[in-house]
Amino acid sequence: MEFVSTTLAALAEADLVLEVRAPVGRRRAIGALTVLLGLFIVVAFGFGSISGAHSQFTFTPVNTSSGAPWSLGALTVLTRWWNVALGLITVAIGAETWWRRPAGALARFGVGGIIFFFTLLLWAGRQPGPDQTSSINLTSVLIGSSAIAMVLIYGSLSGVLCERSGVVNIAIEGQFIGGALAGAMVDSVTNSFWLAALVGILIGGLIGWLLALLAVRYIADQIIIGVVIVTLLGAMSSYLNIQVLAPYPNLNVGNNPSNVAIPLLYKIPILGPVLFNQNMFFYAAIVLVALVSFGLFRTRWGLRVRSVGEHPKAAESVGINVARVRYTTVILGGAVAGLGGVAFIAVQGQFQPGITSGFGYIALAAMIFGKWKPSGAVVASILFGVSAYLVDALQSYSTPIPTELLQMFPYLITIAVVAGLIGRVRAPASDGVPYKRD
Amino acid sequence: MTDTLTDTATKPSSARRFWSHYSSTSPITLTILALILGFVIGAIIIMVTSPAVLDSWRHTSHHLGDIGSSLKVSFDSVAAAYRAMITGSILDPTLFVHSISTGHGWDTTLTPISETLTYATPLVIASIGVGIAFQTGIFNIGANGQAIIGGIAGTAVGSMIHCPTIIHLPLTLLAGIAGGAVCGLVPGLLKAYTGAHEVIVTLMFNYVCNAFLLYALTETALQAPNQANDLSRNVDSTAILAPIFGTKSGLRVSYGIFVAAAVVVLAIWFLKRSSLGFDFRITGANPNAARASGINPKFVVIAVFLVSGGLAGLAGGVQMMSTTHYIDGGFLIGNAGIGFTAITIALLGRLQPMGIMWGSLLFAALNVGGRAMQAATGIPLDLATIIQSIVVLFVASPVLIKEIYRLRSGAESFQMATKGWSS
Repeated sequence: MEFVSTTLAALAEADLVLEVRAPVGRRRAIGALTVLLGLFIVVAFGFGSISGAHSQFTFTPVNTSSGAPWSLGALTVLTRWWNVALGLITVAIGAETWWRRPAGALARFGVGGIIFFFTLLLWAGRQPGPDQTSSINLTSVLIGSSAIAMVLIYGSLSGVLCERSGVVNIAIEGQFIGGALAGAMVDSVTNSFWLAALVGILIGGLIGWLLALLAVRYIADQIIIGVVIVTLLGAMSSYLNIQVLAPYPNLNVGNNPSNVAIPLLYKIPILGPVLFNQNMFFYAAIVLVALVSFGLFRTRWGLRVRSVGEHPKAAESVGINVARVRYTTVILGGAVAGLGGVAFIAVQGQFQPGITSGFGYIALAAMIFGKWKPSGAVVASILFGVSAYLVDALQSYSTPIPTELLQMFPYLITIAVVAGLIGRVRAPASDGVPYKRD
Repeated sequence: MTDTLTDTATKPSSARRFWSHYSSTSPITLTILALILGFVIGAIIIMVTSPAVLDSWRHTSHHLGDIGSSLKVSFDSVAAAYRAMITGSILDPTLFVHSISTGHGWDTTLTPISETLTYATPLVIASIGVGIAFQTGIFNIGANGQAIIGGIAGTAVGSMIHCPTIIHLPLTLLAGIAGGAVCGLVPGLLKAYTGAHEVIVTLMFNYVCNAFLLYALTETALQAPNQANDLSRNVDSTAILAPIFGTKSGLRVSYGIFVAAAVVVLAIWFLKRSSLGFDFRITGANPNAARASGINPKFVVIAVFLVSGGLAGLAGGVQMMSTTHYIDGGFLIGNAGIGFTAITIALLGRLQPMGIMWGSLLFAALNVGGRAMQAATGIPLDLATIIQSIVVLFVASPVLIKEIYRLRSGAESFQMATKGWSS
């Protein structure tokens, strides 16, 4: 009887029918892994720090030009017991995953991963300790993470759109580069991030169109085309940087858009500066997530996109123009990534070749980690963003584990997920398969 | 069929026969046409971004005629750029004539071709590895990471073990192969036993290997003594691939080209004559038929990743042994990275060892010539990569070339190497 109910519960998650095959074992494994992670935190970062050592949090963001939140004082905590507590929370999350085997098992593991980095940060910043850096600015950590997460959200949403329609978009990185370069130039000339965003959308859409043209119309291999487009855009941006941006520095002044503080809400400590006092690209990302999620799963257009990605032949037999749906969706996806490129510039300022440093590929990983769903992509982007930022922040501390090895973390986790070692993901059935009409 | 009959019956002129051959789109024709397109687009990019044109945009943007005249001026810069590219990568005729008549200055005359060969050496090896994987229907996008690990392993063996050349040199080469093979083994095993798509695994592995490189160069004994930067020890002189003409001549071309030549010959033999190579090709052509005829698909996937990764690792080792003799944090990351260049070369060479060899020489010449171009005209070296990417975009979509040149028929789309993530 219990078997029947678990099977039904698994079936209820319509998106992941494949998981019926072995959901129980995998989610159990994720739970067990999370428990182990928690125990490691308790032992290594909890009891591994000397009794009486303390770590200090501060909460006021560094940049308060567009309004500061209600101020909180500094919080000094005992490193050992806080890490033990956080480790135990991780153990509890793992135990819950083990016990209930929820659909969000992977996300729970991700939370465990973030706690791992956070406790490592606490441990590394302890006083008396090896480093002089005395306090951890929690709000800054979250703001920095949100900037990375925002870019990843744009990229992974672009991937979700394209791959749901059956075209692999490995060229997200290229669309980032194109959007970033165009955005930097347009903003420098017009001093308007609105225009920059518009041009970034156009450039990203254009690159998406190139991908769609070669992949859909000329039936070239999508992965090859994507890889080459990234190479092309990388070289192109480096070329233009030397040939155009260097002699005309007024084309690359590196503005940052001012933050838009949402009245009252921005005053909430910690959360306010992170969620309600951001630039327009951050809010646009949130709106986009809702739009893509609604569009894909609640509209006729979305149903068409998904059917074309799953079974183009069946879609065509009911009168859907497969090529046209793929064209529009890939162009749309490219536009989203292009906007992400402009968002990159909004955070980073000046354009430099290599500025996107592989974030397009991490976004691809986030999309896979998020199981080809907008909501999943957001969760994965946040997880990757926070872990990327914390790894970066940890570089100024002396940690027991070299930061170079910690940098591998998101990639190794993605590999483990793709391999089904932890969790199981399933791509749209016709993802990457070109459709030829008979 | 009827066409051929009438053709032979009427005995067309040689020009007509040439046209018929040209328009029947053989792979070589398609490649040449793609190259022409690449250079034409490259020329347009040079012209549009030349300082003369940019200036006329800035100062007299309301007089379109000025832009027209500056476009004419920039025509010359295109000619200068491409001339510098050719003389800088193959041979400078004036220097050649000078050397012929005086018998001196051969070192300078031969430098461009020596540089091209030096640059091509690791490319040939890595691209053949990628090509063999392609032929098996496997997309090895991780040659960069594999080459990096090969370079690390080669540097470790070359700098920390001390023995005579006769042992040390082969041992270092083998270390490179082993490093790359181990790095390729992981995606192979995962693909064989869990079905994880090799593209995403190898892509992620590139980053893992990059991080490992930085780790190895800053935290391990591989780092040069008393060195704070990410710089490795130098390998022993017994473990380097020495310049063929000695260090005095200044010509960098090393014995590494013989390693590359051996790889070409071995790859031809392997694919055409060996039974494992046959298994590879059959699996690539039709996995179901391969399975039905008793070929173990799991074994093939693992084996092809060992071969492909091993070759990429060898490329990394040879690169280190024949040029720098040490590695640093930017090892093999220049331009687009050797892994992505290898993918484009493998496609350009249509996955065949000989084709890949010519493709590598061409791409190496483009890069070396691009450097000369940058020095002579100030046009950035990246133009070479732009032209390469455009050429490969066209090579990968032959139907497009067919349409652009209005060719008759016969253009088959490139055989799909991969079919989605989840297969």
